[in-house]
Amino acid sequence: MDDTDGDRAGSNPFGGETTPAIRRIEDASAPDATVPDAETTVPDVESLTGDPQTLEPTIRSVWMIQSAISAAVLGVIAAVVFSVVSPGGPWVGAVVFAGAAALGIVFSLLKYRIWMYQVRDDSLYLKRGVLTRVNTVAPYVRIQHVDTRRGPIERAFGLATTVVYTAGSRGADVSIPGLTPERADDLQTRLKHLAIAAEGEDAV
Amino acid sequence: MKLDPLSIPVRAGESVVRLAWVLVFALVGSPALGGVSGIGVAVVGWFVIALAYQLVYYQRFEYDLSGDTLDIVSGVVSRRNREIPIGRVQNVDISRNVVQRALGIAQINLETAGGSSTEASLRYVSFEEAKRLQSELGRLKRGAASTGTADPGPERELFAVTRKELVLLGLIGIDLRLLSFVTVLLPVISPSLRERFADPLVGLAVTAPLAAVAVVGIAALISGAIALTSYYGFRLARQNDELLYERGLLQRFSGTIPLEKVQTLTISENFLARRLGYASLAVETAGYAPNDEGSQSAIPLAERGRVVDLARSIESFDGIEFERPPRRARERYAVRYAVVAALAVGIAFAADRYTGLTFAWYVALALVPLALVGAHLKWLHLGYDVQQDYVVLREGFWTRTTTVVPYYRVQTVLDSQSVFQRRRGLASLVVDTAGSSGLTSRQPRALDIDAGRAADLRETVADRLQTAVQRRRSERRRERLRSIEAELGDAPVDPA
Repeated sequence: MDDTDGDRAGSNPFGGETTPAIRRIEDASAPDATVPDAETTVPDVESLTGDPQTLEPTIRSVWMIQSAISAAVLGVIAAVVFSVVSPGGPWVGAVVFAGAAALGIVFSLLKYRIWMYQVRDDSLYLKRGVLTRVNTVAPYVRIQHVDTRRGPIERAFGLATTVVYTAGSRGADVSIPGLTPERADDLQTRLKHLAIAAEGEDAV
Repeated sequence: MKLDPLSIPVRAGESVVRLAWVLVFALVGSPALGGVSGIGVAVVGWFVIALAYQLVYYQRFEYDLSGDTLDIVSGVVSRRNREIPIGRVQNVDISRNVVQRALGIAQINLETAGGSSTEASLRYVSFEEAKRLQSELGRLKRGAASTGTADPGPERELFAVTRKELVLLGLIGIDLRLLSFVTVLLPVISPSLRERFADPLVGLAVTAPLAAVAVVGIAALISGAIALTSYYGFRLARQNDELLYERGLLQRFSGTIPLEKVQTLTISENFLARRLGYASLAVETAGYAPNDEGSQSAIPLAERGRVVDLARSIESFDGIEFERPPRRARERYAVRYAVVAALAVGIAFAADRYTGLTFAWYVALALVPLALVGAHLKWLHLGYDVQQDYVVLREGFWTRTTTVVPYYRVQTVLDSQSVFQRRRGLASLVVDTAGSSGLTSRQPRALDIDAGRAADLRETVADRLQTAVQRRRSERRRERLRSIEAELGDAPVDPA
């Protein structure tokens, strides 16, 4: 019937999957069984955590390009509007573009300098924001899943974003941009292991 | 199991009603269509088609509640097989409108935490079947949790709304959205009033207070009627680990709120309710879609003391002693409101000076002291209390909301500092939960507390979440051990 599960024995299609799951919980109920089990499946928590990390410096260019694009859009809008409105002409668009782009550059530099994340013992800690500075603590017990995402500009600069989802309403807010694909993959695996080690039974 | 056969004509009838507004337009727009008789033919024709479709829908809809899942097979054109694990069901709600009550059928809705809308909806089953499903789901859920016996325990009534409370609810709960609706309506009516007075100024002087009274009066009437119909006969009871509620005059709602899944409790009191010593209580679970108001209201309105007692019977938080933000937060609001007031004065002055309208612009100066009072009031109603198992946060002057968040339900914690907050060394602490009201602007937060304190609290809340999770886990482990022991009887379970 199901080719993908060809090597799995048992007439019941769920038999192979459910039985070990139940057994593991029962094993876990015996206090002594949990410790070695956690040790073998998950690397040591100590080895996964680390000091505060900064982003890759190239992320500044990504942010600058992104802000330049929005500045260009603003500039075009301003140019169109001011070519109709009497005081000023299409050159206002250029001024708007220059101003917004300059602001974007300053913000990108500041943003990079402030951005910081740390894989701590029991939670992921992020520090970011230029105007409004935000420090977020996302406990591993609450992690639902971890994504790695690469937009077109990020791809051009060889960068990736890791997104951590929780069940909270601000879930998608916990994203770490400006990582090399290797670092992003590494972070994703680390977080996965840490989330398993934290073993959130009832995330909601 | 199949739906109730009566659901075929009811659903077909519903689709005709949904078509009604199109028909009204057709009738008004083009009389050439054949007038009333043409419309009649269209209605009957549509009803027959809908009936045929619903017959097929009925035949192809099947549900089965057995074991650990609720299985639903449905769909006429594209078929859908669903298995909903019973342990994941958050709320089970039954609703019946007048027609459905007359026919003895009901709609039953299941909510799970995933997705943005109701997970499964059975339209319609007989009322007895709906009740059976509700209690069966409750029983299976308890069985799945393997705690104690699976028999339904005694039902204990916690709250029943009195007539006085219902009337007060109508008065207090004047919906501001209704006010805006009525004010839109008024300009349509008022010109006819004004024509009676020759002098427009006299007319305005007469109609303005009249209009104000009319606005409040109509809004009170409408909101009173809404409160009366939706909370008539409100009753809240507790059975084992679930809250059961019932409400509604024309459309009856009843449902369950599993205490296991409660995320946060919110006590809210608006300005009027506070004066009279009343409050309302909302229980948030992760199941409902945002803005699904009413369905999660545990107590629509009751004396404050009772509300707090009931909230405490759900989550055993201690007596609340609020800590206020530092005084420099109040300065911040004073500056903020004063700037707004100054702007208003400036606009009034400019309007007086540069447009034809001349009026006493300096009346707007009264806004400046008002701004200071407003700043004090805003500051006065802010507060936070960090307890052993809960963090309690309070905010709001017009509608003061007090949110009780168990550490165990915290998803993420963050503190944020805007530029203005940094200048005064203030920060806001936001405690995010999976509760459904999180998507609206009201997130549980401690506004403008000392920056250092906010950073400390961020870590405290995160640490206490860890302790709470560990405690939960060891409790479960013990429970599981106990249930295994009970199953094995005399056979020894060696924990060491």
